[in-house]
Amino acid sequence: MEGLLFNVNNGYIEGIVRGYRNSLLTGANYTNMIQCETIDDLKLQLGPAYGDFLASLPPNPSTSSLAAKTTDKLVSEFRYVRANAVGSLAKFMDYLTYGYMIDNVALLITGTLHERDTRELLDRCHPLGWFETMPVLCVATNIEELYNSVLIETPLAPYFKGSLSHQDLDELNIEIVRNTLYKNYLEDFYNFVNTHPDMVGTPTAEVMSEILEFEADRRAINITLNSFGTELSKADRKKLYPSFGLLYPEGTLMLSRADDFEGVRLAVEGVQDYKSFFEAAGLGGGPGGPGNMAGGTGSEGKSLEDMFYQKEMEISKGAFTRQFTFAIVYAWVKLREQEIRNITWIAECIAQNQKERIGNYISVF
Amino acid sequence: MSGAADREAVFPTRQSLGLMKAKLKGAETGHSLLKRKSEALTKRFREITRRIDEAKRKMGRVMQIASLSLAEVTYAVGGNIGYQIQESAKAARFRIRAKQENVSGVLLPTFEAYTTEGNNDFAMTGLGKGGQQVQRCRETYARAVEALVELASLQTAFVILDEVIKVVNRRVNAIEHVIIPRTENTIKYINSELDELDREEFYRLKKVANKKQRDNAAQDAEMKARKEAQGAMDEKDQVADDGPSDILGAAAAEDEDVIF
Repeated sequence: MEGLLFNVNNGYIEGIVRGYRNSLLTGANYTNMIQCETIDDLKLQLGPAYGDFLASLPPNPSTSSLAAKTTDKLVSEFRYVRANAVGSLAKFMDYLTYGYMIDNVALLITGTLHERDTRELLDRCHPLGWFETMPVLCVATNIEELYNSVLIETPLAPYFKGSLSHQDLDELNIEIVRNTLYKNYLEDFYNFVNTHPDMVGTPTAEVMSEILEFEADRRAINITLNSFGTELSKADRKKLYPSFGLLYPEGTLMLSRADDFEGVRLAVEGVQDYKSFFEAAGLGGGPGGPGNMAGGTGSEGKSLEDMFYQKEMEISKGAFTRQFTFAIVYAWVKLREQEIRNITWIAECIAQNQKERIGNYISVF
Repeated sequence: MSGAADREAVFPTRQSLGLMKAKLKGAETGHSLLKRKSEALTKRFREITRRIDEAKRKMGRVMQIASLSLAEVTYAVGGNIGYQIQESAKAARFRIRAKQENVSGVLLPTFEAYTTEGNNDFAMTGLGKGGQQVQRCRETYARAVEALVELASLQTAFVILDEVIKVVNRRVNAIEHVIIPRTENTIKYINSELDELDREEFYRLKKVANKKQRDNAAQDAEMKARKEAQGAMDEKDQVADDGPSDILGAAAAEDEDVIF
């Protein structure tokens, strides 16, 4: 049914995005890239995929400028797609950017809290998370003003409402603010794809639910693991878990009570994928170092983080097997982001002459 | 004398000879002490050089690991977290204490690193993702900074010791090659001058003695002649006058000897 009228509005976009997907780097490309001796070689290898964007780089560019240029390409393509999107797809893509907006707002709040000139921070913001009223955030000089007059105007206002007051912004750690916002955002996004009349019952809802559920679980697990040994209390931690996902509600409850790596492992026991991740990570690093991308040690075993990325990429790749769905836009952005991370990683390894870890990238094509 | 020019401007007297001898003794003691100090410092210096070499190699390795772990953070977090870290850091966690170490009278500063416990300003950075990498990166960099602190204290010690060793060696050489020879020369000079004076004095005495002898001989001869002449003139009176006049002549002769 959904296929009948999908192409009227969204067919062009789907075609474009599928085209973009084909230009993603493949395993063969990566194999060529890891054999490069210098950044210039790498640049040459990236030539076909990123040609125009890398042209302005000086010889032997730094890895950060390389990453910046590759991100530029993603941003410009995203903007092109967004400009051509209409109706609920446009709304969907806006939702996609909210995640980046949260990061940007968190950055600006940090700046305001420490009374820095927030204007300088605008350059550091992620371009995908740019929204019209963002420069206005810089006008605010104290946190109350920021909250009362500026944040309300942003698309993120609903995420602040009800869970954060302006006192919270002052007192809470910015990371908690960020994660609270992100939780609200994920819930809202999940709600959006499952209730919007254009998407209910379509492959979009199906695929996006899978992706978002995974994302929610990943955040819950990560927050739990990373909060060990910090002043984040269990009750506060519980508030940061999104209220959906494969782990919800039983797993999250157990997560909120977990005290160590073992506790987390027990909590995720119910989900086969996560169970196998934890088994692999547990074997690789032991309870002491679950995220085993340790400097110098345990380079063989993949870290939990790596496996989550791998899983995310596989889900994203799977999204392209479906037709007539918005989820491919999301999947494409995620795949491209991973590609940028891979390129940065390989470039770092080449620049630092640390070839033994260079194979740590994630390639799904 | 060959070292005639290279001696101290003193009058060649017995007093200054004593002074010079004391000075020579002092210089020799000083020389041996300084020599020992210089050897102790050099030993230390070599050790420090070796440790600097080790520390530098270690630093190279540690920094490499550290920058790779930063790359890992970038990979895991998927963005730049520098600003966040800078803003959330409030108090220094890693601090150093400066101490002084005494090596043969040279004060060498040494830096000792320590971390203040319970000061974890950005424990929550990367809570959503990459937190473990951030923490690990922080630990790796803490190790790197530790290596740097060690290297810094070694380098400072190296520079100071180098300076001090140069000064001490200059002193040792100055004493060995300038002060001691010069003092010895001076002593030699004073000795030779004193000998010279002695010889002159001896010669003068001899001359005086000779003259006295001659004078005495002449006097004796005169006396004799006079006596004979008198004896010839009046033989009777001779017996009475003989004794006293003889005694006088002998006493006068003795006296003259004693006078000098």
